[in-house]
Amino acid sequence: MIFALELKKLRRTGFIPIFLGGGLTAAAVPLINTAVRTETFSGLPEEPFPILMDANWGLMAQLTILLVVCGCCLIYHTEYADRGALKMNTLPVCQTSLFFGKFSVTLLLTLLALSLQTASLIFSGIHWFPDKSLNLWEMIQDMGFEIIMLLPTLTLMLFTASLFQSMWLSLGTGVILTFLGSMIQEDHLILSLIPFAAPYRMLHAVSPADISSCILACIIQTFLFGIMEIIYLHTRRIFT
Amino acid sequence: MNQTIQSAKSEKTATGMISLIQIELIKIRRSHIFWILLIPAVMMWIPSALNANVNFQMDDIGIMPEHNFFIQGFMGMAWFMIPAALIICTVLLNQTERTNKGFLKMLSLPVNTGKLCLAKFLVLLLLMAVQMMFTIIFYYAGALLASRLENYNFVLGFPYVAGGAAKIYLAIIPMAALFWMLAVLIQTPVFSAGICLASVVPSVLMVNTRLWPFYPMDYPFYMLMTEYGKQAEHIFSTEIQWMPMLPVAGAVTVLGLLVACVRFGKAETR
Amino acid sequence: MNIIETIQLTKNYGDFTAVSEMNLHIPKGHIYGFLGPNGAGKSTTMKMFLGLTNPTSGYFTIDGKTLSSGRIPILKKIGSLIEAPAFYGNLTGTENLDIIRRILGLPKSSIDEVLELTGLTQHQKRQVKKYSLGMKQRLGLAGALIGKPPILILDEPTNGLDPVGIHEIRSLIRSLPKQYDCTVLVSSHLLSEIELLADDVGILNHGRLLFEGTMEALKDYASHAGYPADNLEETFLAMIQTDNAARKWGDFK
Repeated sequence: MIFALELKKLRRTGFIPIFLGGGLTAAAVPLINTAVRTETFSGLPEEPFPILMDANWGLMAQLTILLVVCGCCLIYHTEYADRGALKMNTLPVCQTSLFFGKFSVTLLLTLLALSLQTASLIFSGIHWFPDKSLNLWEMIQDMGFEIIMLLPTLTLMLFTASLFQSMWLSLGTGVILTFLGSMIQEDHLILSLIPFAAPYRMLHAVSPADISSCILACIIQTFLFGIMEIIYLHTRRIFT
Repeated sequence: MNQTIQSAKSEKTATGMISLIQIELIKIRRSHIFWILLIPAVMMWIPSALNANVNFQMDDIGIMPEHNFFIQGFMGMAWFMIPAALIICTVLLNQTERTNKGFLKMLSLPVNTGKLCLAKFLVLLLLMAVQMMFTIIFYYAGALLASRLENYNFVLGFPYVAGGAAKIYLAIIPMAALFWMLAVLIQTPVFSAGICLASVVPSVLMVNTRLWPFYPMDYPFYMLMTEYGKQAEHIFSTEIQWMPMLPVAGAVTVLGLLVACVRFGKAETR
Repeated sequence: MNIIETIQLTKNYGDFTAVSEMNLHIPKGHIYGFLGPNGAGKSTTMKMFLGLTNPTSGYFTIDGKTLSSGRIPILKKIGSLIEAPAFYGNLTGTENLDIIRRILGLPKSSIDEVLELTGLTQHQKRQVKKYSLGMKQRLGLAGALIGKPPILILDEPTNGLDPVGIHEIRSLIRSLPKQYDCTVLVSSHLLSEIELLADDVGILNHGRLLFEGTMEALKDYASHAGYPADNLEETFLAMIQTDNAARKWGDFK
């Protein structure tokens, strides 16, 4: 019920268009990049998907992170802008479930944006690498890995957005974190798994021994930020 | 004739530009924007100071460690953080007006909306100048720290550092005008911010194409890269190609501001 | 002499008519009560006077000036309080007034003057987002009164105030024409309020002006038309109901 309610609240706020638009923008990256530099890529000896991911995922991941930042800002901005949140607080509804309702809605739409990107990568693979065989299953696994890598970023950003009533503060924090995350080097395994840095990891580039620890680390962080939100919801009456 | 008399009268009592800027500065009190401008400047230089030893491994491109420290550190700032801070500031300037309808009160006062729009744009540039100042201050803090850690003088002269920062600062003006126009035209703040942020991300690619002069979002990064090209071999062009950047930049700035000032407040006075 | 006049003033939002061919006459130095139920077009008319929205057709003059000569000369004459008072929540009461003061080019003392006048002196250093509804309303009023403008446009100025506050603000408004030599246009959906405040009254329903004249004339009109004249509140209700019934009949036909 909460999920349906959260979706309803987002009517006419541009929430779905922003995820569609963001997903399409990120999906355009491999199309444009491969179309412009076809020779550079088609000459490479590797499989098509690793080539495409190596060439494009950095930009696509950053666009997706920014999309998550904007989405989280918007979903809480609609609560705070006309004091809808205040009304919600006075209703007999569990605050925590409201947060997880928002989490599910954002996750669902992030999935939508990622599927658009997957489709575009598959198209690029088929269209520009006609001589090579495509491993679709590998591609889908890779995108499944990306959604797990995005989870901590999404949860932390949603937590941040719930903290600030002024949107420029949540947007500013999100953008600064995006900036810092993009500077973290890949070779540092633990650092590279923190929110805003983890989404740049690619399944084919992670050594098979580390894959399960990457996934575990991201799931643990997601729970951790979820718990932080619950603690915040239960203690904020003390501060405000 | 009647019009000129009216406008002459309005000059007398209505507010001048300086006064309007002062008013805009009052409005952003307690907005915490200071921290949003300060934190990236600090966060950028501390890690590069701690990792300063990498600057000694640049023999293959023939750059001096102190120059490498300065340019590499500034790079993240020029391509992403400065444009992003610009976007956050546009959101700030718009949202302070829209929450609680302060803007409606402004519109019912005898102020020229175009002038008001221009004052806000100048405040935007002022906030960016503050961030550049922070960047320079923390560059020196970082360079001193790195010098202490590595026993090597990383500190560059002030005219060089300030000159580099000033070039980057001037290069953001066309982009600022463009972002400001989008913020005025698009009522939903997340939309305008999202579009602007998405336009910043590809600037790293655009700067390497021949189309770079037509993409104002990459100007600051371009400025830094030419500086890189001067200090290192075979990295980037060594001279700034002013043509056709200058006319494009001028046109973008003038057009962006013109559209913004004409459309400013129109949505509220349908 | 009329300081504000409207000539066939009309405002449409799409196919919805908010104000319909209205001819208002507001005499200088009077308090003019603008009366009508919610959604009658009171706020829309006031917004047109302030240039916050443009008329669809017709025009108005304020102190002999029309919109075609620019908004700014008109706005210089007007102090205004518009629906749910507009302000900057992150600023204190004084800072909010300071913004208005700077734009109008007034001396610093004018802030203390209006704070005193509206009874906000002790709350001046608090952030406005922490104000109560009544305090926000008083701040809105202070923002209108600052600089003693010759015309005041007040949209439901006693909204959200307690009975003591209502009385205070009412006496303040009542005293303004004599004190500052100004004209006041004040709107309300309560006739009892207008009866105590205004010299003249204009009654609006669904964007149309049903009646305009002095309070005395309203009483005469009521007794002639067969409305209960001893209780003006009932007169008002009866007028609105008759008009609504006529409109329905018109739609039906």
